[in-house]
Amino acid sequence: MGPIIKLILLNVVTYLILKFVLPNVPGSAPLPASLIFLYLLLTTSGFLILATVSAESKEEFWGPIQRFLVGDGIGGLQALRWVVLILFPLLVGWQTYNSTAVSDAPPGENRTIHPAPPGEYAGLSNPVPKTPETIQQGKGFYAAFCSPCHGGNFDGKGSAARGFNPPPANFADPTTIAMLQESYLFWRIKKGGVGLPIEGMPWKSAMPRWELELPDEWIWKIIMGEYDGAHQSPRTWE
Amino acid sequence: MGYQGGWIQRLLRSGSGHGGTLLGFAIAAGLLSLPALVFGADVAPAAPTEYRDIPYVGSRNVIWVVAQLHLLLAGFVLGVPMFAWVCEVVAWRGGEKRYDKLAKEFTKLLTSAYSTTALFGGILLFLLIAFYPKLMNYLTDIFFPSFIVYCILFLVETATLYLYWYGWDAMQYGGKKTFHIFLGLMLNVFAFFIMIIPNSWATFQSSPVVIAEGTDMARAWAATWNPTWWPVNIHRIIANVVLGGYICGAYAGIRYLSAKTPEERDHYDWMGYVGNFIGVFGLLALPFAGYWLMREIYQYNQQMGITLMGGFLSWLFILQAMLIGVLFLGSNYYFWLGITYRIPGSALKYRKPMLAMLVVLLLCLAVWMTPHSLVASLEEAAKMGGSHHPLLGVLGVMSAKMTVSNLMILVTFMSFIMYWRAGKQDTAGWAKIAKAIMGAILVLAGVAVIILGVWGYFVPAIIRINYFSTSQVLIVIGVMLTITPLTALLMKSAKTTTEMAWGKMPPRAGYSLVLNAIMVILLMTLMGYARSSSRVHWHVYGVVRDTSQYAFSPALGYASGIMALCTFFFCMIVAFIFWVATMGDKAKAVSASPSKGELPHGMPAMAGASSALDAPKAPKF
Amino acid sequence: MSEVARLQLICLSVVGSGILILLFIKSVFPRVIGFVAIVLGLFMLTALAVPQMASLPPVEEKFDIATVKTPTDLAAIGQKIFFSKGQCALCHTIGPSESARCPDLKGIGAKLSREFLYESMTQPQAYIYKDYRHEGLPKMYPAEMPAINKNPIGLSRNEILSVIAFLQQMSGEPISINPSELDVPGQAPAAPVKAAQSGPMAVAQAH
Repeated sequence: MGPIIKLILLNVVTYLILKFVLPNVPGSAPLPASLIFLYLLLTTSGFLILATVSAESKEEFWGPIQRFLVGDGIGGLQALRWVVLILFPLLVGWQTYNSTAVSDAPPGENRTIHPAPPGEYAGLSNPVPKTPETIQQGKGFYAAFCSPCHGGNFDGKGSAARGFNPPPANFADPTTIAMLQESYLFWRIKKGGVGLPIEGMPWKSAMPRWELELPDEWIWKIIMGEYDGAHQSPRTWE
Repeated sequence: MGYQGGWIQRLLRSGSGHGGTLLGFAIAAGLLSLPALVFGADVAPAAPTEYRDIPYVGSRNVIWVVAQLHLLLAGFVLGVPMFAWVCEVVAWRGGEKRYDKLAKEFTKLLTSAYSTTALFGGILLFLLIAFYPKLMNYLTDIFFPSFIVYCILFLVETATLYLYWYGWDAMQYGGKKTFHIFLGLMLNVFAFFIMIIPNSWATFQSSPVVIAEGTDMARAWAATWNPTWWPVNIHRIIANVVLGGYICGAYAGIRYLSAKTPEERDHYDWMGYVGNFIGVFGLLALPFAGYWLMREIYQYNQQMGITLMGGFLSWLFILQAMLIGVLFLGSNYYFWLGITYRIPGSALKYRKPMLAMLVVLLLCLAVWMTPHSLVASLEEAAKMGGSHHPLLGVLGVMSAKMTVSNLMILVTFMSFIMYWRAGKQDTAGWAKIAKAIMGAILVLAGVAVIILGVWGYFVPAIIRINYFSTSQVLIVIGVMLTITPLTALLMKSAKTTTEMAWGKMPPRAGYSLVLNAIMVILLMTLMGYARSSSRVHWHVYGVVRDTSQYAFSPALGYASGIMALCTFFFCMIVAFIFWVATMGDKAKAVSASPSKGELPHGMPAMAGASSALDAPKAPKF
Repeated sequence: MSEVARLQLICLSVVGSGILILLFIKSVFPRVIGFVAIVLGLFMLTALAVPQMASLPPVEEKFDIATVKTPTDLAAIGQKIFFSKGQCALCHTIGPSESARCPDLKGIGAKLSREFLYESMTQPQAYIYKDYRHEGLPKMYPAEMPAINKNPIGLSRNEILSVIAFLQQMSGEPISINPSELDVPGQAPAAPVKAAQSGPMAVAQAH
């Protein structure tokens, strides 16, 4: 089997796995095209590296291609060579046109999930003492104000969560609140979706601006209740 | 008015009296423009000028390019002496003359490279004073004692450099050589201080401390010791070694590609090997330094940390991962090419381990390049339920990235050991046990790094950062520190089965060396942008606000254009320096060609002077 | 055509000219330049393929007395000053931190009276203990806090009061500063600052 066929086969197999196997793993979802492209690129470059690492393997891989493109006496393939030499630049041109032409497709989704907080929030710390009572109070406030969306189990699956895009944050996921400090949550709860900076796409989040409804002290208590209920702990520096 | 007219006439006459109508014209033009100046002064507000701009290009872009070029040149000028000095010491202790030759070949570049760097430093200073008077005033007020120290250091460094270079042949033997080595050491020490002083200005801008009242010295000292000063110093010094090494590699690569004689091919093949080796040596340590710097930034100000890692600059780190990935792949590729081409008959023997390493490297890269927030169309995002993937999203966080970068360092280290051992056979009786131990250490270390990485998801962030990530780093360093001496011991008694054959590398080896150098330069320009835009709309973070029209930070695509431009300019400048510095050699080689094996060394590199000085000498050769 | 598309076209032409050089030119140096052009062009294309986000500076906010209605408004302004113009957060933290160079201010609003806080900011050395841990005369501790109401920081009395309000809020205390105490511009400037200073000064002499 020629190395070129191997390369094609390898890419096809990788593609099939990424496209049809991985999304069906429990808890997974279809991969975006950009990620599949990235992985295929890595596969190809890995193959090229291995194919060109010695003189023999390079000849085995590159020789046929070179003969096809510039060699003499390839007989019936001569016509195919011309087809490739004409089609390839056209393909590049078409691709370029496609990617720069105006289209009616909505622009890609590139929302930053955890944008940087404003300076005046980054350094705050929780003024409410951490006692079982305050945590319990926080959980109570959470149940009243937050759980409809973020869920009674702190998993982002509340009764009102359906239909929101982006979905309410799942606090049990170790890549959400466990990565952040309490002051970050304070900012997010207080300012809500509209308080996000531009890279967070303030018009996309349905999170209310709770500073209009709740006093600061309640928000701090809710934060404690959230961490406790989701079995996470805030990021700290000591 | 009449009086003034006479004065102008007299001036004009005095100019033409010396036969200089041009001078007269210049004076007249100058006088004519005086009213314009007065007019300008009338319109300008009473407040001092805060910013100036130039049309079309924009002051910020000019400063950006000049500052980046200055930094790259400075990195080169600081990296090369380290490199040269180590080579000289190797030659001195080990007696291998070719290392001394290599060291001299690179020191020759220094004089012209040094003056070019100073030139760009000067341009940068003038432009900064012109474009950013408010900021420069503020910084001068705080730092002027260190400005003076900086100037003195420059004098000392220049003197040392001249002694070091011009005294090379005169101080070749005995005690004089020892003194010469000492000079080289001092050259590096001064260079280090020349680096850390401007670092203090730049790091103060991103992590300022409150300047209390006190003497000028006390204020400058307090501002110098800001939280990110030492992390940046260490990071930059390692990066300079890497830059010096890879540029040496790229130079050797180009010379190798254009080499005419077998001796040249041998020499530049070997030089490329040394350059790549030094580059990789630094590269292995660089992620640790970078990690420390990032940690200090996070501690200094969480906002700045998040801006970098999770906020609007988070995509920059995906780009960085790609560049570093290419760099790791390129360096390993060069090692592997070296094994298969320099050691005849080893291609098949090492194919399997290479495949294994390659697969591990690619898997690590795949993890490293997987972003937390993905680029997805609306439809795709809806299917995933947001812009991060429920399964692969976990690969996007620090714990995963830290793990794979450590694994990649381990693999690259293995590559290097493999290269070292290739073509040699162990004779020592304990070789078998030693090899088994080494294998076990590597496997255990890899497993431990992965376990710590996975476990890192289930512990609080602070435990992961303080204990897990640090342990990962310590494990990798520990592996290097145990295996390197062990291999060295084994190699001492090993017998060589196949001699290294220099000059047999294919052209793509030369290109891969060039690629590695480009990656390092691009990385430096990219991180320059990162450091500067992590300050967002501040000149001095949280203290002096940028109120100019350029207070915004441009998007990555636009910025990458300027980075590419800087990289290209820098390459051209370095190519020019190399060309100028070797011009003398070529002239000599032509006029006194018989002894081809010994590459003659030209006079130092002050542009045209070199060939002019060489010309009368050449016939005597 | 959008700016991104224009830049993409530039990149593509850079890559294309690199390929042309590699295809048709045989001498080494131009070939290397062509190779570098391809690499740089691809790098730019990659950078253009990721989301393009510029960071715009936020609007500069001015201290406007008219907007302050309640003590909480005052604390909100104080919060901004604490973390920006006042430069307090360059040294102090609220809550323990490894990076803190100066005392942790968590709960400070509950521990100290507002007069004492005011004095600490305007005359930082007034109550600092001296360093006796060496022979000879006692010394001042080296890390001196600058007077906040003087240059280079130069906060006004209003600004200092709002920072105090913020510190009290962060300690879970009721805010003891009333918006009516603020100086209204154009009405009795500077004098209240002196009055506020003279109170604690008298206490200091009594000790």
